[in-house]
Amino acid sequence: MMDESNPYLPYIARIEDAWYETPVGDRAVKTFKVNFVDDKVWDTWSHRPGNCAMVGRLGIGESMFCISSSPTEKGYLRFSIMNSGGKVTNALHELEAGDTITVRGPLGNSFPMEEWEGKNIVSIGGGIGQAPLRPVINYVRANKAKYGDLKVLYGARTSDLHCFKGEFDEYREEGTACHLAIDVEEKDWPHFVGFVPDLLMEVAPKPENTIAVTCGPPILIKFVTQNLEKLGFKAEQIYTTLEERMKCGIGKCGRCNVGSLYVCKDGPVFDYATLKTIPEAFA
Amino acid sequence: MVDEKNLRDKAKEVLERDDVRRLIGWARGTYGYESAPVVLKDASEVDKLIFDPTCVQNPASFITLEEKKPVPRGQEPDTRKVAVLVKGCDSRAIVQQLVEKAYDREGVIVLGVPCTGVVDRRKAAKMFGDTSEPVEISEEGDKYVLTVNGEKKEAPKAELVADKCLRCRYPNPLVYDMLVADEVEKWADDEFADVDEFAGQTPEEKWKFWEEQFSKCIRCYSCRNVCPMCYCVECVVTKQKPQWTRRATDISENTAYHIQRAWHLAGRCIECMECQRVCPVDIPIMTLNRKLTRDVKEMFEYEPGVDVEAEPLLACYNPQDPEEYIM
Amino acid sequence: MGDFKFAKDKMAEVIGALKDYQVLAPKAVGDVLRFQPVEDPAQVSLDYPNTNVPPKELMFPETETLFKYRVGQTDIEPEVPDASARRLIFGIRPCDALAYTIVDKLYAWDFPDPYYQKRREATVLFGFACSEPAANCFCPSMGGGPASEKGLDALMFDVGDTIYVKTLTDKGEEAAKAMGLEAAGEAQMKAADAQEKEALAKIKRTLDHSGIPEKLPSLYDHTMWERFSDRCLSCGICTFLCPTCHCFDIQDEMEGFDGRRARMWDTCMFSEYTLHTSGHNPRPTRKERTRNRISHKYSYFPEKFDVIACVGCGRCINYCPVNIDLLDILEDVKKAEVKEAKTA
Repeated sequence: MMDESNPYLPYIARIEDAWYETPVGDRAVKTFKVNFVDDKVWDTWSHRPGNCAMVGRLGIGESMFCISSSPTEKGYLRFSIMNSGGKVTNALHELEAGDTITVRGPLGNSFPMEEWEGKNIVSIGGGIGQAPLRPVINYVRANKAKYGDLKVLYGARTSDLHCFKGEFDEYREEGTACHLAIDVEEKDWPHFVGFVPDLLMEVAPKPENTIAVTCGPPILIKFVTQNLEKLGFKAEQIYTTLEERMKCGIGKCGRCNVGSLYVCKDGPVFDYATLKTIPEAFA
Repeated sequence: MVDEKNLRDKAKEVLERDDVRRLIGWARGTYGYESAPVVLKDASEVDKLIFDPTCVQNPASFITLEEKKPVPRGQEPDTRKVAVLVKGCDSRAIVQQLVEKAYDREGVIVLGVPCTGVVDRRKAAKMFGDTSEPVEISEEGDKYVLTVNGEKKEAPKAELVADKCLRCRYPNPLVYDMLVADEVEKWADDEFADVDEFAGQTPEEKWKFWEEQFSKCIRCYSCRNVCPMCYCVECVVTKQKPQWTRRATDISENTAYHIQRAWHLAGRCIECMECQRVCPVDIPIMTLNRKLTRDVKEMFEYEPGVDVEAEPLLACYNPQDPEEYIM
Repeated sequence: MGDFKFAKDKMAEVIGALKDYQVLAPKAVGDVLRFQPVEDPAQVSLDYPNTNVPPKELMFPETETLFKYRVGQTDIEPEVPDASARRLIFGIRPCDALAYTIVDKLYAWDFPDPYYQKRREATVLFGFACSEPAANCFCPSMGGGPASEKGLDALMFDVGDTIYVKTLTDKGEEAAKAMGLEAAGEAQMKAADAQEKEALAKIKRTLDHSGIPEKLPSLYDHTMWERFSDRCLSCGICTFLCPTCHCFDIQDEMEGFDGRRARMWDTCMFSEYTLHTSGHNPRPTRKERTRNRISHKYSYFPEKFDVIACVGCGRCINYCPVNIDLLDILEDVKKAEVKEAKTA
């Protein structure tokens, strides 16, 4: 857990492995597999799918990223970070295996995995939005007996821009239905061509006893939630994550509020029923 | 004296036009010795407008302060004009903004208000105390008559008026589409006596002075935000990539900020003195700006905000410009 | 607790007796008053309305180092204040002390903030009751008052030639003993009571805020926000001078190989406050930001902490350069008609 005596102090973690998920260049996504330099941190560390951490470099700063590995993946944490061109993401992308980063966390709330036991789970992701959904998927896979049917829907603009390529075949081998999409026709692409909200209507998961969890660009979330409601999902069955500019990550610096909720503390996981009561959530 | 009814009638005419979106002027404040700037959208609101010695703010600042919002798909951008009431000093800001092509002349309608001085609220508060009621102030000869907490008070103008007014050379607007009152005589010439007095100190004395003043700075950036000439979309001090000035409020960064701003205003500052008025910790910011104003006048014989046809001093290049050090 | 007094002309001695405390008192630089460490007790004067910059800067400095580090090393050196380095704030007004109790809630929330809390622990608050409220004070409407005891360790009253000191906590008692104060008599206590009544009668501005926290979210789309946001300069004055505003930025700074992570005051009024790296800004114009500020203080904060984040000190009204008047806005809020709530 966070250092309770001082929540501003980060842990130092060493990058064990780093690789690009998407082609190097503008807005590339790089995954970092990290391990704490001080082993003892693991003794008190525990995180849940949906939790985030402030990741950064000393001398540059920190930014909030979701932990994109499930707590069932032991001995390391994974962060999949898009280079948005800012100070911190630029600096992080310069790093390779062997370098150190700062990790301050786990922060934020998490997906209510216990509440979802016995239910079917549909994960609907777009682009880098798959990062917070990956720990949900892996958690469900590791606790298969506790959950119903798992369906994974994922799309990106092109097949190059798909994150976590190769992992979807692993899910399929276990019997999980995986539906992939790209926006525009590509040679040799055997799966769906079109936007994720349209893929959703084609797959048409049934709402009975099902939870839908979605993340991606705001426009994707908007149309996916609309389509889920068309398919009969109630607002309480739909979960997503929000993001805002953050600095402290612990609800003190004031800037990440959406209405009366702080995205760093009351979020980033929100159910759609809650979001509907906050006009600012759709700014 | 400005006839408020005439002012409101002219404002009403302007706001009733189809091609006018808003009108910026002054309204009665909610307390004390200053008015409140007001942005009117409809001709029915013109009765809110006032003009008296409480109208200290510079409405020209609000022309460039308005955000340019993205136009929703299917809608046309609103290209209607902005109307603005300005005193003499304020109008210099409009002149300079036009010189720098901040916007088109056709985009604004200027209602000029010849001005006989505004009250310095600190001087008034020292003399008559603070009040939670708005104060009405009128001029009678060379006296101000104030109604403070229901009581009538009087004071010589020269004791209450803002320092800038005592050396005001431009009481009449220098650019306007219409005047709402008759032009007035100027107060005085500006000999930059205050600049000379300060500049006459030793470097050690000056540094000690500024060290004390800049240590007070809380970097609220009100001086920058109220300035009609500070309208950069991204200001150099808030840039993060790269970061030129740190956000830490230490003497190094505070000094860097103030000197940067003074340099960026050299040849552009039109001396409305708003920056100094708004500073919550009383930093005499204009001492720096007036030194540069005087230097610009002496070195280049240039005065900003006076001639709409002029070219911006430090943003123009003339092959005849003297340069002895590159070639 | 106890009732003490000291002669006004002995104030320098009394302050000087506080050898184990760093004493902070209002000091003028020109017309500007701020709390500063006392260098010469003889120069301390309590003849002042209130400081421009509130004493929140004593608990939550404009800039402070969180920790230091060095390039190439993985050690981090936190710079947490020492709770045993005792300080005494001499002459804090009741509104500013009440503000501390409000900000305390946020800094203790879930992840206690040691920087703020250690300073609070180390500090004794010797308040000074107001006999001449300023023009825009409205503290009684916000749960305070010219002689409110909330948050204070002791409260002083100027009752003529004497200062009457009422100690309210153990910390206050301890300091009073260290100052060597004599016991007060009935006369001083009566005079203090009378002063409080007179001061309350002098306060002109009031606010009935009942219903405002619940009503604000429903006014999200109301046009009233444009009326005053049109003239907002987006400067930080209202927030920096507000004793309950607590927002900050965190920045890393390097000098050669040495660096520090520091935090400094920030304001929701700046457009960069919520600017995402992608360029998206959920509060791009002054309308969104001013609406957020009022909603935060009068609705979001009370929703979480059961208290409105405003103590009625009036600084935001006094120092706003364009006469944006909080009480004026809140009257608009009360009068505004709530339309049907928009759903997404």
